[in-house]
Amino acid sequence: MYTRPLARLIEELQRLPGIGSKTAQRLALHLINRPAGEIEALAKALLEAKQTVRHCSICFNWSAEDPCEICRSPQRDPSLWCVVADVKDLMAMERTREFKGLYHVLGGLISPMNGIGVDQLHIRELVARVAREKPQELIFAISPSVEGEVTMHVVKDYLKPVAPTLRMTRLAFGLPMGSELEYADEVTLARALEARQEL
Amino acid sequence: MPLPKCWWAGPAEYPNSRPETFRDPCIFVYLRSLHLRHFRNYRDQGITFDAPKTILVGENAQGKTNLLEAVELLATLRSRRASRDRELVYQEEHQAQIAATVERLGVAHELVMELRSSGRRSLKVDGHVLRRQADFLGQVNAVVFSSLDLELVRGAPEARRNWLDGVLLQLEPVYLGLVEQYRQILKQRNALLKQDPKDSVPLTQATAGDQLPQMAFWDAQLATTGSRIMRRRARLLQRLQPLAAHWHRVISGGRETLTLTYRPQVPLPDPQASPAVIQAQFLAEIRTKAAAEHSLGSSLVGPHRDEVELCINGVAARAYGSQGQQRTLVLALKLAELELIEQVVRDPPLLLLDDVLAELDLHRQNQLLEAIQERVQTLVTTTHLGSFDAGWLKAAQILQVQGGQLFPDKTGDGIP
Repeated sequence: MYTRPLARLIEELQRLPGIGSKTAQRLALHLINRPAGEIEALAKALLEAKQTVRHCSICFNWSAEDPCEICRSPQRDPSLWCVVADVKDLMAMERTREFKGLYHVLGGLISPMNGIGVDQLHIRELVARVAREKPQELIFAISPSVEGEVTMHVVKDYLKPVAPTLRMTRLAFGLPMGSELEYADEVTLARALEARQEL
Repeated sequence: MPLPKCWWAGPAEYPNSRPETFRDPCIFVYLRSLHLRHFRNYRDQGITFDAPKTILVGENAQGKTNLLEAVELLATLRSRRASRDRELVYQEEHQAQIAATVERLGVAHELVMELRSSGRRSLKVDGHVLRRQADFLGQVNAVVFSSLDLELVRGAPEARRNWLDGVLLQLEPVYLGLVEQYRQILKQRNALLKQDPKDSVPLTQATAGDQLPQMAFWDAQLATTGSRIMRRRARLLQRLQPLAAHWHRVISGGRETLTLTYRPQVPLPDPQASPAVIQAQFLAEIRTKAAAEHSLGSSLVGPHRDEVELCINGVAARAYGSQGQQRTLVLALKLAELELIEQVVRDPPLLLLDDVLAELDLHRQNQLLEAIQERVQTLVTTTHLGSFDAGWLKAAQILQVQGGQLFPDKTGDGIP
């Protein structure tokens, strides 16, 4: 049906997350319509990103430089760290522009079903880094799932011996800002009720 | 014991506490119509319910139970007969649809459930797609009584746990999340039990000063979520017990006393105990079973192994009951469920009787009819009308089911 190179392009695009066969087709037909320069720039950007972007050796954020931009920044508060599961979560925290500390990316959550344990994550690196740099507080910004809970408690347990006085906190459970109470789902509302605060 | 006309005018322990407006027919949730497309053996069939009672007559394997199953899906999002949605879709099709019109306070609402053989579902209320499945729960409530329910008495503990969970899902919206969370913890914990022995050494054998083994944290999760489930189940049984005992007494003519006792796998000395006490008990139980769990590679402690004991006059019903007594017991449980849902939700649920009414003797059929009156919309399936009490046939809408199609009953008065 399609000529071979176009079919191959569609196949490649289809392997990307969130892209089905229809979207892949649309993207391929769009790309083939663009000027050659634009496509070269895209191809170059892909290659360059792949060749230069590495994990930051300190916090495991993606970066072309090592240490990453955040770890090197003099404007950041080195006593306050945020522990996240994934770079996606780091980006979400950055979008708030409210957090001025450093990060540590774990690279996932503990999940025995998928063979992910302490050794598959950057937990030992975090322990060594805490022992070396002695921050004052770690904020766990981890999604509230079963796996997230276990990961947080395991990390806390690993940190206890090296930093007995380190303050460890987690994000609150609660209602999305600007939301209507009546539309909140029952589980969120029930958790918000449990974690209610003094007025 | 004389029969109560309806249960809010029943014996002293059921005081007349319901507001008068409750009898106003327009307050009831009423299933007006149902439309099945490519669902089970139905190609495209609509049905309008124009009486509080509908009797579906037909030979076996014509689609009577499938129709009730569709209503059960709307109420609980679950089917007890299918493990995957693929089984619910008409062969060679990819997608089935159940559409229903439900009337609440006289206002009609459109409910649509789309089932795909891929397993993805979509749910719509009045044309709006629901983001969360749980929001659909409570649109329709239903109590199902089918021959499968005799498993409640005869079957393994799982049947009784599923029944409790089914009632809780209709009463407490938070319960769905709890059950899903518990299932996930169990899966992860079992995976860990099967793998790396270093990570899963029992707590007692871990050397002091070391990091706790990962298992300790899964234990804590299991205990926290598990005890929440236990507390909710214990509370539900406390509420169901007097209702079930009452109905059982009425149906058995006052000769027998039914007791329901919650037997959680983690012993619960006091059902009112605080969460902390239950969790401590839970963890202690995990420690005693640790060796066995490791050799079997699966979790042995927790509400996934709970039991509900059903006793008649102090003797286990499973061992003792005759067929008739077991039917009486299940009927009492179902009426208790119906009454509790009505009390909490303030609307009587739909009652779905699948192939069980004709099996009840005329006395019990009458008791059931007295109990539900005209308030409870009831769908009944049967292979023959011969053994029905006249009270049931009177004013019922009777439909013939044949090969996935519905026809008005040709016999006219419904008596063959």
